Amino acid sequence: MMAAHIAWRLVRRAAVNLWRAPLPSLVSVLTIALALFLGASFAVGVLSARRLLQGWGAEPSVTLYLDRSTSDDEAKALAGRIAETERTESVRYVDRAQALQRLRTELGDLGSALDGLPENPLPPSVEVIPAGSPGPNEVRALASRLGQLSHVVEVDYGREWLDRIEVLGRSMRNFGSGALALVLTAALLVVANTIRLAVYARRDEIEIMKLVGATNAYVRTPFLLEGMLQGLAGALLAVVGLEIVQRLVIPRAAAAFSFAAGAAAPHLAVAHFGILAGAGAVVGLLGSYLAVARFLRA
Amino acid sequence: MCRAGVQFERNLSTVIQLFHVTKAYGGDAPVLSDVNLRVEKGEFIWLTGPSGAGKTTLLRLLFCAEAPTSGQILVGGRNVNRLSQGGVPYLRRNIGVVFQDFKLLDNRTVAENVGFALEVLGASDAHIRGRSLRRLDQLGLRSKADSLPARLSGGEQQRVAIARALVNEPALLLADEPTGNLDASLTDSILELLFDANARGTTVVVATHDRALLSRYRRRTVSLDRGKVVSDA
Repeated sequence: MMAAHIAWRLVRRAAVNLWRAPLPSLVSVLTIALALFLGASFAVGVLSARRLLQGWGAEPSVTLYLDRSTSDDEAKALAGRIAETERTESVRYVDRAQALQRLRTELGDLGSALDGLPENPLPPSVEVIPAGSPGPNEVRALASRLGQLSHVVEVDYGREWLDRIEVLGRSMRNFGSGALALVLTAALLVVANTIRLAVYARRDEIEIMKLVGATNAYVRTPFLLEGMLQGLAGALLAVVGLEIVQRLVIPRAAAAFSFAAGAAAPHLAVAHFGILAGAGAVVGLLGSYLAVARFLRA
Repeated sequence: MCRAGVQFERNLSTVIQLFHVTKAYGGDAPVLSDVNLRVEKGEFIWLTGPSGAGKTTLLRLLFCAEAPTSGQILVGGRNVNRLSQGGVPYLRRNIGVVFQDFKLLDNRTVAENVGFALEVLGASDAHIRGRSLRRLDQLGLRSKADSLPARLSGGEQQRVAIARALVNEPALLLADEPTGNLDASLTDSILELLFDANARGTTVVVATHDRALLSRYRRRTVSLDRGKVVSDA
């Protein structure tokens, strides 16, 4: 009974304090909102970039160029053997005529230039798309296995691209996590300092509370509640900001993005907003805790 | 509400005991050195001496705002050196403190300021309001209950501060130059309040450098000079 009574008083005190000093509260709220907005935007940015890379690296294919003297039957037999022994999505034999036709199509208006050739210079090939979504190492291993087969003169699997994308993806992941940690730490420090200024303005109150025998927990609780409320308010503001950006900016960017990545643009869902609210509350709480701690020592 | 082990023993005949207490900050000369003092229950004592003699420091040691560098201090039978950080608030609930600069909260009404000391004890709102008003009534401030402190004169503000210190019926009242900011006519009315509290059984220690007070109101007087007790009579 007594505890509920005190709890209610502390909640009321927190609300009254927020109401009586709206400006310092507002500064804290805005700081938290900005920090969360930046953090979330950054996270979405890194996520988009990674997805873009994955899109580019997707559907690895291995092309085997065969000896030009290979007959159709030999090539088909080779393709059949590959389909049997390797885990593949598809194995497709492209004969020399088809290769020329494809080149003609790709060249478009310039395709007519090919008409002047005395003979078809293109070799027959077998295009292998591995099953599932193999990592770069698996693609590399597959390519070297296929390179051993008879009639195969050259193997092309976009190695340089794969390697580059792999390195880029790894460094982006490292940079992303590091930068995100940095942004969040900076946000916490700024928030703690902002709240500390607000607490500093009320050091007399803290001093008198302690003088009349208030326990540290009693002094601290309203500040923690205020910090939490400010954090939640800041998160709400950040969510509103992110939602506006999502509605106005992303639809325009999305078309370009899905074209480039072959995947939908990432976007914030309700669960993410829950995480933001939680992060806001924790940052507000922790900031207040750090801010009040130094005034409680006396 | 009182925690076991940090209870202030109200029935002890000795309220304050200091044994060889020294307080020094860093490498400076000690503010208090080898102070011995014993204050019995129900006493009223003046703590006097020139500025810088150590009066304020002595009072701060008594309500645990600071710890002694060496020596032992017993308040209400509790050794404050052995008191944990968590025990200090419970000891303070038995001690009323009054300052020269009142230390009222500007954004709370007079009644709220007085009730502040009861709030932290977990009393109900109705109880707090009732007791604060009764105390203000006794001090002739009933009509100012809902004013903000800034609207009151200095003498009235100090009476509010005393009301806050006494609302809890503390066993011990410490006052640091309570009349330092007030003119002579107000001084007497403030001191009357302290004598009244003493007559009702509260042990009172008042620090002052005003020698005229000491001769006007003869009570036990402990004189400090450069951190040492130079007379006690």
